[in-house]
Amino acid sequence: MPADSQHNLIIGPDDRILVTGATGFIGSRVVENLLTRGFRNILCFARPSGKNERVLSASAAKSLATRFELLEGNLLSRQDCENACSNVSVIFHLAASMTAKSFPDAFMNSVVTTRNLLDACVRDAHLLRFVLVSSLSVYSNRQKSRLLDESCPVDEHAELRGEAYCFAKIKQEQIVTEYGKRFGLRYVILRPGTVYGAGQDGITGRIGIRTFGPFLHLGGSNTIPFTHVDNCAEAVVLAGLVEGIDFEVFNVMDDNLPSSRQFLRQYKQNVSSFRSIYIPRILSRLLCYLWETYSHWSEGQLPPAFNGGQWCANWRKTRYSNERLKTRLGWRPRVSTSDGLQRYFDSCKQRVGHA
Amino acid sequence: MLKVAIVGCGKIADAHASQILRISDCEIVGVCDCEPLMAKQLKERFPIKQYFSDLNRLLAESQPDVVHITTPAESHFQIARTCLESGCHVYVEKPFTLNAEEARVLIDLAERSRLKLTAGHSDQFTHVARRMRALVAKGYLGDGPVHMESHYGYDLGDPSYARALLGDRHHWVRRLPGKLLQNVISHGLARIAEFLTSDSPEVIAHGFVSPLLKSINEHDVLDELRVIICEDQRTTAYFTFSSSMRPSIHELRLYGTKNGLIVDHDHDILLRLRGSKFKSYADKFIPPLSFATQHLKNLGANVKLFLSNDFHMDSGMKYLIECFYRSIRQNMPLPISYREILLVSTMMDKLFKQLADTHVQYRNARDVLPEIVTAGVSS
Repeated sequence: MPADSQHNLIIGPDDRILVTGATGFIGSRVVENLLTRGFRNILCFARPSGKNERVLSASAAKSLATRFELLEGNLLSRQDCENACSNVSVIFHLAASMTAKSFPDAFMNSVVTTRNLLDACVRDAHLLRFVLVSSLSVYSNRQKSRLLDESCPVDEHAELRGEAYCFAKIKQEQIVTEYGKRFGLRYVILRPGTVYGAGQDGITGRIGIRTFGPFLHLGGSNTIPFTHVDNCAEAVVLAGLVEGIDFEVFNVMDDNLPSSRQFLRQYKQNVSSFRSIYIPRILSRLLCYLWETYSHWSEGQLPPAFNGGQWCANWRKTRYSNERLKTRLGWRPRVSTSDGLQRYFDSCKQRVGHA
Repeated sequence: MLKVAIVGCGKIADAHASQILRISDCEIVGVCDCEPLMAKQLKERFPIKQYFSDLNRLLAESQPDVVHITTPAESHFQIARTCLESGCHVYVEKPFTLNAEEARVLIDLAERSRLKLTAGHSDQFTHVARRMRALVAKGYLGDGPVHMESHYGYDLGDPSYARALLGDRHHWVRRLPGKLLQNVISHGLARIAEFLTSDSPEVIAHGFVSPLLKSINEHDVLDELRVIICEDQRTTAYFTFSSSMRPSIHELRLYGTKNGLIVDHDHDILLRLRGSKFKSYADKFIPPLSFATQHLKNLGANVKLFLSNDFHMDSGMKYLIECFYRSIRQNMPLPISYREILLVSTMMDKLFKQLADTHVQYRNARDVLPEIVTAGVSS
């Protein structure tokens, strides 16, 4: 039986659950988490890929007597959305465009797809909750306080940040809240920070970039809002199950977060050593300002890849709070940051070794 | 003030909007997409007056002078025809239409209506392409090109487009008669067509699926193409399209009766190939020095363009749009002749027919074609 020690749940073990992006990095862990909790009627939606069956069969094998389905399709197809949403009680919507560089591509694969899914939801009366997995990048992070929590404003001019993913995520949130107001759709929005875990590699842009050749360390002493993929999946699942949290927003990040400098040092010690150049905050702010000014003056001869909005969102000195996640959802990290990072480094090292 | 509208609000529409806004005396009065959210997002990011999800409403309410069509290729014909019938000049993104017959119908309609029409062969108007054209016009090649080689590389690792195509069995590109090739090769063929004089050259095509695509069980999309083009036993050309070849180049080589030229579109480099040789060892030492000098001059030209703020990634598109608008305002000749647009379409028809004769998947795609054409004409 699904069980949660502190909260009542809105669905039972046989209620139908839809997970979009179910074979993705977080989605596959969400499915696993649901199976572990004893949910037995899970529909996994994913784009056609030879890997889907393999990814999900590993999870399904752990659960006996489970009605576990894989539906391959495209959320740009309204018919596929209707097929997916039929008789579903909770939707975990994780599918999104992660790699699209252009605004239209990111928008189409995140916002139009979400609208199609929402239209299918409102036509089907069974839905109790729609969980949208958004991103911490939606905040402008220009508030006076250094503390970033759920009360902070979302960036109103994401198009000026030059980040298609962030723009699409903000528009995705807007359309979900609009359906909440217009159709009474019960939703919960999660905004995870930097999700990491075994199977991924690379260093988040909040720490630094390699755009110009050598690694430029921009994070300095900033705290990096990491969340281990298992902890993130736990938060996503709780957001879909716990009673009394409709229409709320939760930031997701772990406890005992490392600073950018600490992470980089550990990465170099554990994975591979490389040369990095530290750029102090004041200098990175100035360079972003100059780049943005030139981009504007030159009518886009250089795209606005670096700008003030992006600097605030990624490299401004910031503190984070996961208090709301803990008090309202009863979330606790399953994997400690030290263990999570060690597993991550081990995985990265293996990948580097194979490369 | 020229009133401009954009129909189709996908990725390429961003480039159009950016370049149109850099041109003086014009404004974007409306954008349209059958998906209203896509039209809305474009309007929100650019200074655009209105957005629509219905073409007829756009034409009636915004009353544009010019319409840029940036939709998937299968809808180009019908939308262009509707716009021409509404009295608008039309810029159609490449590929112009699905076949030469559709292209001919549109051109006839434009001529009858005294309206202007152009195709989005913007790569022919980059700085380096214009430098090349000026040299050819001065007679650098001698008596025109004897032989041309156009290389068009395509990186299937590009996540924005190729992955979307390969991951979606219903992607619109798969419905085109020439599939991926039809959507991509017109830039490479247009470079050759510019220098051909006959209306129907001989075309010999060979296409196949690369080992990379076969390895991911993709057998429907031809991504390797080799073409020989000959006209009147005088001028010949090779066209190469490849997703596997590295480096993935975009290059035109022109060989005339006196000299030759290499146009490197990736790096905006123009190299002159001297037709005559130096004596003895001088031919081993002077040409490398000459090439080094030319490379330095190209570097200087590119730096100068950048510093003068005229080296945007879509500078070719801006130049083509400017020329097209000037042609409309001052009734000047079009930047791309109708003959050239038709020639590119004709060559594509010929090579897709040959591929259809040898590849069953292309034959299947072409079976759908008459329905699309009929739908376009009868509506």
